[in-house]
Amino acid sequence: MQLIVTAINKAYSSVQAVKNVSFHINSGEIFALLGPNGAGKSSIIRMLVGMTKPDSGSIMVSYQSQHYDHVPRRLLGYLPEDRGLYPDKSIEKNLLYLAQLHGLSKSKALSEMDYWLDVFELTARRHDELKQLSKGNQQKVQLIAAVLHQPALVILDEPFSGLDPINQEKVVLFLQQLKAKGMTVILSAHQMAMVEKLADHMLLMAQGQVVLAGTLQQIQQQSQNQRQMKVGFSSEVNAAQLEQLAAVVTVQQLQARHYLLTLAEQASVSDCLKQLLQYGELTQVEMQSADLHQLYLAAMARHKPEAAV
Amino acid sequence: MISRQSLIVARWEFLRFFKWKQQLVSYLLMLAVIAAIALWSFFTDESQQQYRIAVPAELQITNTEQFQFQRPGIALETQLMQMQNDDSWHAVISQQDGQLVVHTLTGKKWLQQLDEVLQQHYRHQAAQQMGLNAAQLAALEQPIEIETRYLDQSYKGKDTPEKIIAIGALILLFVGLSTAFGQVLVSITGEKQQRVTEQLYAIVTPQQWMDGKVLGHSFSALKAMLTSALVMLLSFAVVSVFTKKAVDLSWLDISVVLWLIPFALLGVVLCASFMGAIAASIDDPNNSGKSAVMMITWLPMVFTFIVIDSPAGIGMTILSFVPLTSFAAMPVKMAMVTVSWWQPLLSLLLLLATVYWMRRVAGRVFLRGMQMYGKEPSWGDIVRWALSNKAD
Repeated sequence: MQLIVTAINKAYSSVQAVKNVSFHINSGEIFALLGPNGAGKSSIIRMLVGMTKPDSGSIMVSYQSQHYDHVPRRLLGYLPEDRGLYPDKSIEKNLLYLAQLHGLSKSKALSEMDYWLDVFELTARRHDELKQLSKGNQQKVQLIAAVLHQPALVILDEPFSGLDPINQEKVVLFLQQLKAKGMTVILSAHQMAMVEKLADHMLLMAQGQVVLAGTLQQIQQQSQNQRQMKVGFSSEVNAAQLEQLAAVVTVQQLQARHYLLTLAEQASVSDCLKQLLQYGELTQVEMQSADLHQLYLAAMARHKPEAAV
Repeated sequence: MISRQSLIVARWEFLRFFKWKQQLVSYLLMLAVIAAIALWSFFTDESQQQYRIAVPAELQITNTEQFQFQRPGIALETQLMQMQNDDSWHAVISQQDGQLVVHTLTGKKWLQQLDEVLQQHYRHQAAQQMGLNAAQLAALEQPIEIETRYLDQSYKGKDTPEKIIAIGALILLFVGLSTAFGQVLVSITGEKQQRVTEQLYAIVTPQQWMDGKVLGHSFSALKAMLTSALVMLLSFAVVSVFTKKAVDLSWLDISVVLWLIPFALLGVVLCASFMGAIAASIDDPNNSGKSAVMMITWLPMVFTFIVIDSPAGIGMTILSFVPLTSFAAMPVKMAMVTVSWWQPLLSLLLLLATVYWMRRVAGRVFLRGMQMYGKEPSWGDIVRWALSNKAD
């Protein structure tokens, strides 16, 4: 399974949801679409699924020497952003129905169901109606529904949303299992720490455009000018004042009187230190490489909506 | 051609609204109510009881199975007191100023039968006084038979068993479409609100999904029609057994019933497809006026009922060929007049083509409606999609 997206655009009424986005995904990869709400992630996913078509550009899915302009249903496992199942039916009935629609025999569907219910510790509740489950458990059932038929490509729109940290870790393990089984996974998320652990490639989007793309290392290299400095002050300093400094792009308060600053591309460290000393005595100065979360925040800060500029 | 996925959706939809226990309980309750009504009328049937009637000595009336006429030879006031105090008499008859007076405690149904017996007695007495014999009296009492002959050879006649079948068919169609109306609306808008549609879209095509929905709810409607027909027949049988001691189903014309089946089947599928298209365009059933439009599917039965007394007229002829009404009108027409073989066949073919078109429209409306993401399509949008030939 290979997926190549070339310069796709999509507009809804007057809103340009996706602008000239390109990327490619190789078989067996975990690919993450990152970005704030309204960045265009779900619009891209819906085009991949075939629910909508790009206004321009192309999508090419290659699988066993066959080519398609969207992911064929038989190859697809999908967790939509707008999700839900039949609340008055049991877990087993819901999953069996969807598995049979995917073409699985009843016995095959039941054996797959046994496996995944065990993974998510839901075996004892298989006859419970969906409405009796917590939101987190309903989410797990929805994840099982997406993979029960062992699709070649799994697209998960916000798989971590609504889950507590323990269940988020379970989903990380679940996704690693999918990769181990040879499935290609596309996911959209806000949880950078999770994505950092999982994704082979990622695409960071803002306002329908690609902001950063590549592996974590590639993104960090792309952002190598994105230096970060951890500083401590001997007395209280207003973070808003620090943000006004020409050498500083973003400010994140770590603890009392301690801040993580992202430096502007052209700013020198000595210039920055001179400016910081205006606000008080420094007790700590430490340069560090940015993690995905910080790169994300810095990239978003550079791509603020035009109205807010 | 119906896909395997559509059949799975159809089965799911059918079973979603089919609860064995509830169905069984409702049938048993219905039978219990019918049996209770029949038993009540049997045990309270006043014609089965005997009544003691006090009559004047000069009234030489013959006893019947129901009425025992006795001449007590005591004063009228005493007879009336006896009737009030110890139920000696069910009624006391007196003659005052040449007029017959019936005294009784309260109004009862059997008094009408008593009235008939008395009338007959006095008619016989008058006939004897006029010197008429029994045959002459019988000739006088015989009602005149009037036969109406219709020059239109195809007309089977008014108030015939055929008309009972025709009206029964309309009632059953009404039952079926009411069932489909509720279920299609709840099923499609409910799935949208429960956000299942996008998940399903990734598994089945909009057309497969809509075909499954339409089939599933059509089966539900047909099941409702079949059970209603059985309940009607059962009620008829129970009442017949209690009243006439025998079940006579000779009026049930099987050839008409056999024609009813394909028309009912296609009619229900056509209406369910139309309802599906409308329901698929509704984003929020609580704030949409579109659901009322689904009731348009009841109009074919209303129009057919309006022209039912002119089954060979131009109105019925038009209705029986227009595919939107033919499923109701053609079986009714066939029940009441003899039609050429090609007429129902042509009507069925036109209906079949319309069903095919309507299910395509429903599939298109579902897909396009879903792509609008929360915005309800206008009537203009729906008409444009309906008339579009674009493949999905």
